[in-house]
Amino acid sequence: MTEGRVMIETRDLRREFGGVKALDGVSLTIAEGERRAIIGPNGAGKTTLFNILTGELEPTAGRVLLAGEDATRRSPHELARRGLARMYQRNELFEPLPARENVRLALAAAAGPYRPASPGPRDRAAAEVLLERVGLEGRGGVPARSLSHGERRQLELALALAQRPRVLLLDEPTAGMSPAETARITELIASFDRALTLVIVEHDMDVVFRLADRISVLHEGRVLVEGAPEAVRGDRTVNEVYLGKVVA
Amino acid sequence: MKRPAAIAALSILGAAALVTFPLWSSGWESSRYATTILRDMLVLAILALSLDLLVGSAGLPSLGHAAFFGAGAYAAAIAAQRLGSDDLLLGFAAAIVVSALLALVIGLFAVRAAGIFFLMLTLAFAQMVFALAFQAVDLTGGSNGLANVHRPMLFGLDFNGPEALFELVASVFVLVLLLLWRVRASTYGRALVGLRENERRMRALGYDTTRLKLSAFVLAGALAGVGGALSGWSLRFVSTNDVGIGRSIEAFVSVLIGGTGSLVGPAVGAVVVLFVERVLPSSIPFAETVLGVLFIVFVAAARQGIVGLARAAYARVRAP
Amino acid sequence: MSPEVVVQQALNGISFGALLFILAAGLSLIFGMMDVVNLAHGGFYMLGAYVALTVVQRTGQFWLALVIAPLVVGALGLLIEPLLLRRLRGRHLDQVLLTIGVSLVIGDLIGLVAGREIHSIPFPAGLDRSIAIMGGDYPLYRIFVIGFGVLLAAVFALVHRRSQAGALIRAGVDDAAMLSALGVDIDRLFAITFGVGAALAAIAGVIAAPVFGVFPGMDVDALIYSLIVVVVGGLGTLSGAIAGGALVGTADTFGKVLFPQFALALIFAIVAFVLLLRPTGLLGRVRIAR
Repeated sequence: MTEGRVMIETRDLRREFGGVKALDGVSLTIAEGERRAIIGPNGAGKTTLFNILTGELEPTAGRVLLAGEDATRRSPHELARRGLARMYQRNELFEPLPARENVRLALAAAAGPYRPASPGPRDRAAAEVLLERVGLEGRGGVPARSLSHGERRQLELALALAQRPRVLLLDEPTAGMSPAETARITELIASFDRALTLVIVEHDMDVVFRLADRISVLHEGRVLVEGAPEAVRGDRTVNEVYLGKVVA
Repeated sequence: MKRPAAIAALSILGAAALVTFPLWSSGWESSRYATTILRDMLVLAILALSLDLLVGSAGLPSLGHAAFFGAGAYAAAIAAQRLGSDDLLLGFAAAIVVSALLALVIGLFAVRAAGIFFLMLTLAFAQMVFALAFQAVDLTGGSNGLANVHRPMLFGLDFNGPEALFELVASVFVLVLLLLWRVRASTYGRALVGLRENERRMRALGYDTTRLKLSAFVLAGALAGVGGALSGWSLRFVSTNDVGIGRSIEAFVSVLIGGTGSLVGPAVGAVVVLFVERVLPSSIPFAETVLGVLFIVFVAAARQGIVGLARAAYARVRAP
Repeated sequence: MSPEVVVQQALNGISFGALLFILAAGLSLIFGMMDVVNLAHGGFYMLGAYVALTVVQRTGQFWLALVIAPLVVGALGLLIEPLLLRRLRGRHLDQVLLTIGVSLVIGDLIGLVAGREIHSIPFPAGLDRSIAIMGGDYPLYRIFVIGFGVLLAAVFALVHRRSQAGALIRAGVDDAAMLSALGVDIDRLFAITFGVGAALAAIAGVIAAPVFGVFPGMDVDALIYSLIVVVVGGLGTLSGAIAGGALVGTADTFGKVLFPQFALALIFAIVAFVLLLRPTGLLGRVRIAR
């Protein structure tokens, strides 16, 4: 793990839905360049945590800091501009548009929409490079909705990468994928620049242990255990509440 | 000739033919009548084209677009009246500024809502503008409207005659079409389509979607205002009809029948709508019913509109 | 304002509010069940008033009109849902657009058959006088409107709580797909809902006719007012329709007395204010259909 400044910090983050505590005081510190996996059973609060980190949901209490600056209750677009990108669990694509145009929209976000020009050859080339990076070379002309499930996950990843983020939140990147697709996308993520901070929610433990520098186990809205992968793997409480089902 | 070049050449020719319609049709017995009808079709087409920027590109179904059309019509007429000047640029400036400002105020509230709620809000707000126009008798003439609206002049050029006025309307129509064509191809136009297809993703990518929607609302409002100014000059009359729900629905029906999101679709729709309303009634008394039924059929069975249908048919013919 | 005037205007406001509730109830019901904002609501309202006008002209019977008009318009609604809306199920926005077409046809055909004049319906016998309230005379019919609104709200609340229909409505509001999975005949349920919603619009049209008259363009007025009521109160809930009706009714009435020039601006301000604070209305469900 690269020792550096703190990239994401949450302080006693809480969120209730009509009396139900989805997050019950989550404090995390994730360093720049770290690859952090967040695991836990369904309903542990992982997606709620992501939604608060990206600004799509407001916390009931607590704070979020992004690179040391306050990022609590900020709008999603502001946080995106501050370097936060997200791969959604359920793909959020521009369905009828070709894959290439999906990526172009993502690339154009940095400069904003208020430009008179249409995308030039450089933008087009950048889009092709990104498509190739995620393994979608030659598929740029296919509408997002006509791609296979695995390809759609790859495109989802390309949109996030197009933002040139500092932090990338990956919400179950391998969900619904075949073993071969899972292996491919796991290696793709593993090959990312080490300066990019990754926060990964994932159920597939092989993927988690392949990618993560550290693991936080979320259970009933709290961080149950946090540590290096080996330590978490050996932790008895973790095995009881979560890993037990998978490893035992 | 390459295909894009051929299309460009055809477009220029078509535009020239349209603008010079009064000249080459002057031999016809019904040239005067045709010029008037075509002029009004083009005015409605400008309104429909501006509305389609919201409905087709950005996916914002506004049912109150006449508010900005009427605001432009009133603004141009009142500015000319109060300032005692028939300057064309003054008229357009007044129309654009007032309708854009109105769109900004209404948009601030309306763009917070989506889908059906957006539709309801734009309808309700436009109806309030209608009521204000009705009540502000000193300014708008209330239910009597503003009669004797002067037709404009520019650098000594007088647009008073029916031919000159037609050429003005047709030129502005071509310019609006050109502008919207550019907008659709631009990064901005693509962002609007992104908004229509997935607002959540747009936000996550870093687009300020509220501002994006508001800007589209203001741009569409300003263009509608231009159409309104032309309407006042055409009819020499501005009334609460120009801000009313009837005009909004006319524009919306034009967009849907012609085809949303296709550049020329709304203009085609406007031609159909005014054909039914203005040409048919001499033979049938229930034009609105015909429009209503047409609208129902297109919404239910041919959502892609006339242009969409034509494109599909063309593709089928070309395919082996 | 003297106390008598205040009381009178308060009664006027409540009376208008009750009418607005009756008007908005059908719109809200249809939205609550089907996620469709029925923009033909004003058309149904107008059709109800014109049917009532015909009945009253033929028979002189207001109460008969109050029965026949909702039956006729309700039957129309019962036809329109399966014929037109059903094929667009799931495409909520297109369903809404389709109702625009329906309202165009209704408005135009009424104008064609009944002409463009303004008609009036006399107050029903027994309700055509005034009663003394706080030393002033007050039209009895307006009290009747208040009573009718309260009665309708009570019936709604009862049906909602007690009966199977109420359970269906609550379930429909939450999840139509789930209802279908439970074996409920969704087609029938939606057709009946649309019919009842249309009938409610017609009832409002009949009740309003002696006060506001029967004329072309009344459909638009009614539609706008009912939309404002549900936007303010919140779509799809009974309490929202009541709250919206009461608020808009009193604000409109007092606004017109206090500053006649700005009555509409006042309503506008209320709508804007409510939307700023609560985008789904005062008592709306947090669910936004596209």
